[in-house]
Amino acid sequence: MDEASGMHYWRAVMAVAKRWLTTYIRYPTWVISVLLWPVLFPFGYVFSMRALAGPTGEALSSFAQLAGTTDYVTFLVTGTTFWMWFNIMLWGLGGSFRMEQLRGTLESNWLAPLPKTFLAVGVFLAEALMGLVQLSMSMLTIALVYGVRLAGSPWALLSLILISIPSIYGTGLIFASLVLVAKEINGLIFFVRGLITVFCGVTYPIAVLPGWMQSVSRVLPLSHSVSAVRAVLAGGGFGTIAGQLRYLAVSGAVLMALGFLAYAIIQRRMLHAGTLGQH
Amino acid sequence: MSRAMVEVEELRKEFPRRGKSRQDPPVVAVAGVSFEIPQGEIFGLLGPNGAGKTTTIKMISTLLKPTSGSVRVAGKDAIRYPIQALRHLGTVLSGERSIYWKLTGRENLEYFAALYGLPARVARQRINALLDRFALTKRADENVERYSTGMRQRICLAKALLAEPDVLMLDEPTAGLDPQSARNLRDLIREVKSEGRTVLLTTHYMEEADQLCDRVAIFDHGQIIALNSPGALKHDLDDLNVLEADIARWDDAWGAALQERGAVNYDLRFDETARVHRLTVHLNGHLTTGEAVTELVNLGADIRQFSLKSPSLEDVFIRLTGKSLRE
Repeated sequence: MDEASGMHYWRAVMAVAKRWLTTYIRYPTWVISVLLWPVLFPFGYVFSMRALAGPTGEALSSFAQLAGTTDYVTFLVTGTTFWMWFNIMLWGLGGSFRMEQLRGTLESNWLAPLPKTFLAVGVFLAEALMGLVQLSMSMLTIALVYGVRLAGSPWALLSLILISIPSIYGTGLIFASLVLVAKEINGLIFFVRGLITVFCGVTYPIAVLPGWMQSVSRVLPLSHSVSAVRAVLAGGGFGTIAGQLRYLAVSGAVLMALGFLAYAIIQRRMLHAGTLGQH
Repeated sequence: MSRAMVEVEELRKEFPRRGKSRQDPPVVAVAGVSFEIPQGEIFGLLGPNGAGKTTTIKMISTLLKPTSGSVRVAGKDAIRYPIQALRHLGTVLSGERSIYWKLTGRENLEYFAALYGLPARVARQRINALLDRFALTKRADENVERYSTGMRQRICLAKALLAEPDVLMLDEPTAGLDPQSARNLRDLIREVKSEGRTVLLTTHYMEEADQLCDRVAIFDHGQIIALNSPGALKHDLDDLNVLEADIARWDDAWGAALQERGAVNYDLRFDETARVHRLTVHLNGHLTTGEAVTELVNLGADIRQFSLKSPSLEDVFIRLTGKSLRE
């Protein structure tokens, strides 16, 4: 790649990201997903847990044996916040190419004289940035509403969030490619979201799962992100979550590579099948 | 002779049949078409829906991989080196949804200018010039969703011209436009030609092809069935007389009787406004126009008015295929 091409591709990546963010903020309902939903969503689980704990919280000791804490509010809110981050990513990055296809703009982007991977990089950057903003605002909101406090290292928390990005958004790229083949997003989202809900310990400790389900859970990067965040909120630092950070770094690299590979394969397939512009 | 800016050779596209086994023969969308377009020419692909025009234009614009054949744009192999070919191509896709409705006209042009690799300063100058040229400057900072169909089509054309391409491709550029907007767009296309650019367009409007194109390739069932200038194609029909008649009532038996007497074929449309059947009969000497009118009157037709007209590209298509473009 010569210097001129490099500049061209960089400008294209930035333009895609800017266009994505500009379009996003022109739909005012984004406020619901960023500010209202993160507050409303955990309430159902918190009240369920309060009911299960008993009037004086006498059942909390058995919860603590499995979860390592009696602070079920922080436990639940952490799980649901990461679940929502993943969910928003599925609808955003996961549905991005399909949305372009439905709008009719996918083909006009493909007419640009550049490798189409750079279009995906731009969307990836915009979605990751938007996801971080959403996550930060969600965490601030739940801290205010639910009184969740950070007892551990803020740098460990920041590192953990940043190192979770490649695995979450790599999964999103694979998902986005599958959506282009299936031409339907809802069913796929319900399926993937269901798997995450069940296997990643979003609202319960993974220890309650049967053995084989725990094995599956240990493979999924989001399980590691959620358990590590809980550990940091409870007072942990880099040393506490070193294993999870390593796992997230490796799985993130693998999932990113697989994501871009899936994108390249689907692109090739669509150019042969003539389905790029098909609704 | 001018340099060929688009060279298409034995271009073919097959699609597997849906839900059928691999042994079933594929659907042939384009069956080995060849043509060359020299610099500065407006070249039209004309034919009914499903004839293979859009598939051809998509293969040239690198949005679809051909099954076989070759495409060169400004000398660049568009199949092996699509990015190099795309640097010489500006494309306006069919419909008005190829731009972002939640962005302003200017933002759309800035976005696509970046995708085409224009430096920011050059992009700003070109965008201002194009907005001015297409009479969009006053509305440039409004979201495209507030534009009329004609304005959106002008933004699409401006987008395709941003990189000053050697070849401009337009897929059904005036579809859905009101007559005034369509006329304006055709004027803009002529301007583009006057700048020395090559224009390739698809249309199923015969009059548009007749007015705009230097040469026309008539498509049917994925093949080119005629290729020449509109004048030459019509000249080939010099033995053809075309009778148009408005008739109050129609009986299919009359059409059969005309064909039995020697009419080549006929086409019938009902004019809702005038509440008459508009009959077009192609005659080639076996039956004169006078004889055809007399025959219709003898059969009991109430002819309100009739006229003779010069053959059009529609008549060329009917002569070549035995059917109207709308069928």
